[in-house]
Amino acid sequence: MSNGAGSSKVNVEGVMLFEQPFARVPFENYRKVFRTTQRQIEKDFSAMQTATNDLVERSKNGGGVDEDAVQGIDAMITRVDNLKRKLSDLNENFGVPTQAVMKERLEHLSVVEDAQTQTTPEYQRWSDTRLDRWLVDWALRTGRERTAKKITAEKGIHTLVDVDIFMDIRRIELGLVTHSCTEALAWCNENKAALRKLKSTLEFDLRLQEYIELARLRQTDEAIGYLKRHIVNWHDAHMQQIKQATALLAFPPNTTCNPYKRLYDPSRWDSLVRAFRLAVYNLNSLPTEPLLNLALYAGLASLKLPSCYDGSCKNVDCPVCDPDFGVLAQEVPSSHHVNSTIVCQISGKIMNEDNPPMAFPNGYVYSREALEEMAAQHQGIVTCPRSHKTCTLQELRKVFVS
Amino acid sequence: MDAALKELAKLEKLTADGKAKSPPIDHTLDMLLATLRAERERIQSGSASSETFEGLATKIEGLKKDLDERQKEIYNSVSRYGKALDKKFPNSLPTFSPLFTSDKAFQALDRTVALHFLRTGQFTTAETFIEEAGVNVSEETRTLFLDLHRIVTALKAGDIDPALEWVKWNRDFLHARQSPLEFQLHRARYLHFLIECQPPDVPSAVAYAKANFGCFYSQNESEIMRLMACIVYLPLARLRASPYADLASPNLYTDIDPMFAREYCASLGMSRQIPLKVVGDIGGGGALARIEKGRKLMRERKSEWSQTDELPIEIPLPAENRYHSIFACPVSKEQSTEQNPPMMMECGHVVIKDSLQKLSKSGGRVKCPYCPVESQAGNALLVRF
Repeated sequence: MSNGAGSSKVNVEGVMLFEQPFARVPFENYRKVFRTTQRQIEKDFSAMQTATNDLVERSKNGGGVDEDAVQGIDAMITRVDNLKRKLSDLNENFGVPTQAVMKERLEHLSVVEDAQTQTTPEYQRWSDTRLDRWLVDWALRTGRERTAKKITAEKGIHTLVDVDIFMDIRRIELGLVTHSCTEALAWCNENKAALRKLKSTLEFDLRLQEYIELARLRQTDEAIGYLKRHIVNWHDAHMQQIKQATALLAFPPNTTCNPYKRLYDPSRWDSLVRAFRLAVYNLNSLPTEPLLNLALYAGLASLKLPSCYDGSCKNVDCPVCDPDFGVLAQEVPSSHHVNSTIVCQISGKIMNEDNPPMAFPNGYVYSREALEEMAAQHQGIVTCPRSHKTCTLQELRKVFVS
Repeated sequence: MDAALKELAKLEKLTADGKAKSPPIDHTLDMLLATLRAERERIQSGSASSETFEGLATKIEGLKKDLDERQKEIYNSVSRYGKALDKKFPNSLPTFSPLFTSDKAFQALDRTVALHFLRTGQFTTAETFIEEAGVNVSEETRTLFLDLHRIVTALKAGDIDPALEWVKWNRDFLHARQSPLEFQLHRARYLHFLIECQPPDVPSAVAYAKANFGCFYSQNESEIMRLMACIVYLPLARLRASPYADLASPNLYTDIDPMFAREYCASLGMSRQIPLKVVGDIGGGGALARIEKGRKLMRERKSEWSQTDELPIEIPLPAENRYHSIFACPVSKEQSTEQNPPMMMECGHVVIKDSLQKLSKSGGRVKCPYCPVESQAGNALLVRF
């Protein structure tokens, strides 16, 4: 008989499976800060190089070294001053705080590596915080922002949750819901390189939608202009779709002809919302499902047994036996067991050689410890709590479960 | 985490103008400003020419190179940090088709979360959530949790009166459970007179014992004897060195408040542990990783696993999370069911009914596969774990 004791040692690898996004999100944010810094430097220096070249040209062509030159130099000085200020602002307001978040999160995860067992108070506190983080993530993904902010504030876990990402998502999605691609396209522009790396077609899909809206309004000239400006340069990957888009102008919005009917279908906007979410999640290595749901899936599947749905076997302490968890657990597989585990319904303890199962003459089984305790309190008489059968301790039979 | 933390420290140093192969950005920009100012003076003093402008252009180019060098170092540092993360977190989370999206499941999850906030004493969060999500939690339930929280907070502060008041109303329930709670509360109050009062208030303690211990005597004879006898060893310093030292422990109430919460929740038909935490800790403590590993293995072996049915692997659970008995037949390895229940042979060994039938020979005799005893299959007893 298995004693059923899963080791209480912390399974670091298993815990860390959930923490990839936690560590990566601030890292992606930092990379963004770095890219912005780089862009700013490139922009200002290229302007300065042009300015100095002008100075050289002018003086070579006999232009005087005069007030204009002083003004040119002054403009450059102002530019460098501004650049200096911008870079230091960027570093102070975004770079340093993001690095601090990165550090805090890594140190937070170190607690898991240092914990010897799951029962230490340090690990328990850590896992309490993890549940709070999961609840924030879940609340944000299900659109309960006030709850998410409340938990964050009450628990003081601002640096451990990613409220900002979801606020951005919310803002951009609101645009898409009201049939505007502007915010989403701006986001695509900010994350151009990363999206290209992911081979995301989001930007093309957004552009196509803007074009379809022009076609819907029968603004043919504008539509063709838009096609030229924003769509034809995607020809490598999307030739077929571009051809269809062009032909769309020949079909009125109320056409019954597929695939043009499908292109006019307003439900395309819903798919855009989904595609956008997926792109954001991918970009930040966020899972598509809330972390809470993933943990619940695995947790419920580890616990679920047919007994949880059998009225006579319910155990009030078992989470799956709870009616609400029971509903959730219907979506997950049952646990799998190769060995027997016999749990005493009186004491809740797992029976083994030292505390063997004992059977009443009618077949109901409990642990010897629990029965002996009962007998000691009732002059050697034991009563089965389920069948109410009464007998002496001597009448019980020892059960062997191999 | 150490490798990543080390890389991060390097990055912090690089971006905070620390020493490196290339000069800090701030430094380079200051150089640039100085150069520009010098050129400005040259213009004003009339000594500037196309040559000095060309010199300026070269200088700016050189400084730009310094900047690029520094940025490159930072870039490399960022990449190294990224690699350290990749190494530490090699697996991304599995993709699942959306979970718990049916109306019924969605509502169940909302209710579960609302109750979780209430149960863990996060009342303001609970109110926010209940309002925002429109969860249906009755006023009565909320009051019950507020009450629990009020009583436990009092207990933690050493005030047992609210708890005793609750016990008075729930005596029948506690009695049926043979709960030690009421006695433990009285015991704490009694010890309070002896241990927390300076000097020990023996008369009040004895009076309290007289008034309250009587009905617990049959069940707690030896403990009550110890409680009464420990008076002999007072004051506290002596008690600490006596055979009754365990009674002198300063945390009289720390064991009682979880016990109270357990009984209180049981009276409402709720579990002793916080269920969302239990399920989350199991799922996030390695179960998902194991399930994924199992799934991957099944894929590699190209065998099918019907996902909704049963996990392909066993997830080990700590003893405190085993809530139901499982009987796996030692002969057939099958789990027992209502139709195929466990049967105990006369020797005490248990197999499932199907196995018992397969093992029985003519005349219904069965030789136990685990011991030498032979018995009648018909005499086997159906056992209920």
